[in-house]
Amino acid sequence: MKKNLIKNIKAKKIITGALALVLGASMLGACGKSDAANGENGAQKLKANGKVYRTLDEIKKSGTINIGVFSDKNPFGYVDENGDYQGYDVYLANRIGKDLGVEINYVSTEAANRVEYLESGKVDIVLANFTVTDERAQKVDFALPYMNVALGVVSHKDKVIKDIEKVSSDEQVIVISGTTAETFLEKNYPDIKLQKFDTYAAAKTSFENGTGIAWANDNTEVIAFAKENEGYEVGIPSLGSQDTIAPAVSKGNESLLKWLNDELVTLGKEKFFHADYEKTLIDTYGADYEDTLVVEQGDNK
Amino acid sequence: MGFEVLLKGSNMLRLLEGLSTALNISLISVAISLVLGIILGILMAMHNRVVLFFSKIYLEIVRIMPQMVLLFIVYFGSTKVIGINLSAETASIIVFSFWGAAEMSDLVRGALKSIPTIQYESSAALSLSSFMTYRYIIMPQVVRMLIPLSINLITRMIKTTSLVMMIGIVEVLKVGQQIIEANRTASPNAAFWVFLVIFLLYFAACWPISLLSRFLEKKWKV
Amino acid sequence: MDFNVVISYIPTYVDAFLLTVKIGWIGIAFSLVIGILSAFIMHFKIPVLSQIVAVYIELFRNTPLLVQLFFIYFGLPKIGIVISAGTCGAVGLGLLGGSYMAEVFRSGLEGVSISQTESSLALGFSKTQMFIYVILPQAFSKSVPGIVANVIFLLKETSVFSAISLMDLMFRAKDLIGLYYNTTEALFLLVIFYVIMLLPVSFLGSVIEKKVVSING
Repeated sequence: MKKNLIKNIKAKKIITGALALVLGASMLGACGKSDAANGENGAQKLKANGKVYRTLDEIKKSGTINIGVFSDKNPFGYVDENGDYQGYDVYLANRIGKDLGVEINYVSTEAANRVEYLESGKVDIVLANFTVTDERAQKVDFALPYMNVALGVVSHKDKVIKDIEKVSSDEQVIVISGTTAETFLEKNYPDIKLQKFDTYAAAKTSFENGTGIAWANDNTEVIAFAKENEGYEVGIPSLGSQDTIAPAVSKGNESLLKWLNDELVTLGKEKFFHADYEKTLIDTYGADYEDTLVVEQGDNK
Repeated sequence: MGFEVLLKGSNMLRLLEGLSTALNISLISVAISLVLGIILGILMAMHNRVVLFFSKIYLEIVRIMPQMVLLFIVYFGSTKVIGINLSAETASIIVFSFWGAAEMSDLVRGALKSIPTIQYESSAALSLSSFMTYRYIIMPQVVRMLIPLSINLITRMIKTTSLVMMIGIVEVLKVGQQIIEANRTASPNAAFWVFLVIFLLYFAACWPISLLSRFLEKKWKV
Repeated sequence: MDFNVVISYIPTYVDAFLLTVKIGWIGIAFSLVIGILSAFIMHFKIPVLSQIVAVYIELFRNTPLLVQLFFIYFGLPKIGIVISAGTCGAVGLGLLGGSYMAEVFRSGLEGVSISQTESSLALGFSKTQMFIYVILPQAFSKSVPGIVANVIFLLKETSVFSAISLMDLMFRAKDLIGLYYNTTEALFLLVIFYVIMLLPVSFLGSVIEKKVVSING
């Protein structure tokens, strides 16, 4: 009895201690870090803590790969009524799993979690409409792109926003936390009031409910929304720079990155992403957008 | 209308599965909390200064830190700072047990304290050993006081597990969002029904437990 | 951890802190009003109303705030009831808290012993006088520990506001993690600001509780 007590106190203390450690270590980290003023990037931390990612061989050996996808971003990554993941990103993910010869464990991610999930090794690959940016590239490694993207703004048909400058100070624009749209508006239009949501589902429902005058996001996404739902118009089809979307892996996971890049080139040769488009996106966008959206590796070099 | 999305495919079943994910996490956490909480509660009732000091800090942390904050610290902070990679499920069980054990220990301490000293004294006068005093006099009363309260802790734990959606566990709310999203075009009003059903599902899970707890509390009231 | 980053984040956290405190306390004020009204209705067994209140209390005590907020904020607009996120947060917190406060006040009222009512009637108090001068003050002081516990509970519950786009502390932290990926710094400040928000309340709460307990004897 007494021994048990002591054991459990220990367990208790370990849990309590772990929390204290988290706080304490973060303070300590501050001292150690101050001399590396501009070394804010994740790679150093990874080295200090050991690698968090799994190499290609480790993934193959374990027999499953963890792939982070959206579960509420129709038609790119969503879950159908039978509980199966579907969409443009998922179509690629399925192929990756097949070519690696492993089972896929889909992990539902939110926009703001994507970097975090890779940095903490919670997923092996993120295939969640992940736009390549310099800021993100400091934290994760992007493979070759498979889609084009820019920002777009959709608004209600009775009050179409054609110019982002014309948003007045008492109106709110909806964005999703952790997306390029959020970063872009924060940086370039700090006066615009943003209404931020964690999830696509929440943002869209809220936009439908009329709590914001417009919704800024990847233009692919807002075009899809306006096409699928009555009463909306994409007033600004392209905003900011033209970017690309690519798979991402944890910083430093070279074996997996190399495999992915080779895979994307192979897929490009067989026009895989055109097939993907025709399978998952054509119902939404029609054939018009096929060549502007899809990026195939190998054929444009 | 929007209600029909719930009958489509296996949607209703998926919602229930989502709920059972949340319930599983809460039941495991309750089990751990009960064990740790009872032990800690007994220790606290022993008036050891060192134990009291640390348990006071521990209880205060739990008292003022939202579970959501703890969840984020454990889930995202653990990998960053100490390099351990916890799954979202493990992280939530750690956090909810950390919270539940504190609540439970406070209940145990309160229950032990509420037994008047005279009972110990009279037991001693009857020359009962301290083991017998606890076994036959104190424990039966304490247990009767604690059972309704610990059952009540289960409902609170279940309600708290709705937060795990925020660290990416696909539980009932997230499944709800997925259903709304997959059917946005066909059933634009699905959100009302889906969230109403989730609201009622949680109610259906917690209400009977609350009733049981209240029933026992009344039945055993001294 | 980079302290320059921490310092640069402080102003946005202060904004978020003020918003959290504001909506939190408005919600708590709501919950006190709803709680007192409900407790009276239950105590005097007002027909129809007391049944409605009973259903309300059971519904809101047995469901999570997050689910309540999702329903109010995302569900209700589908049937034409649109409310802003701020109002929704305060109303949701008020409704949740109201159901808890009602229980506290009710058991406070029930806790005043019958001998007290009997003696005040014997002293010639009218029923109203008795209620206002004898029962209410005692019921209130008996409710204080419960109120304090609920206030702390409700302030902590504000952390789920982030799900309906209120820029509270939790949201700020999540947002900064998503925007700039400085997880450690964002979480560090999150903890600090919650300590600033809740430690004084917790401390004050224990002081008041001790005072009341000593009065109640």
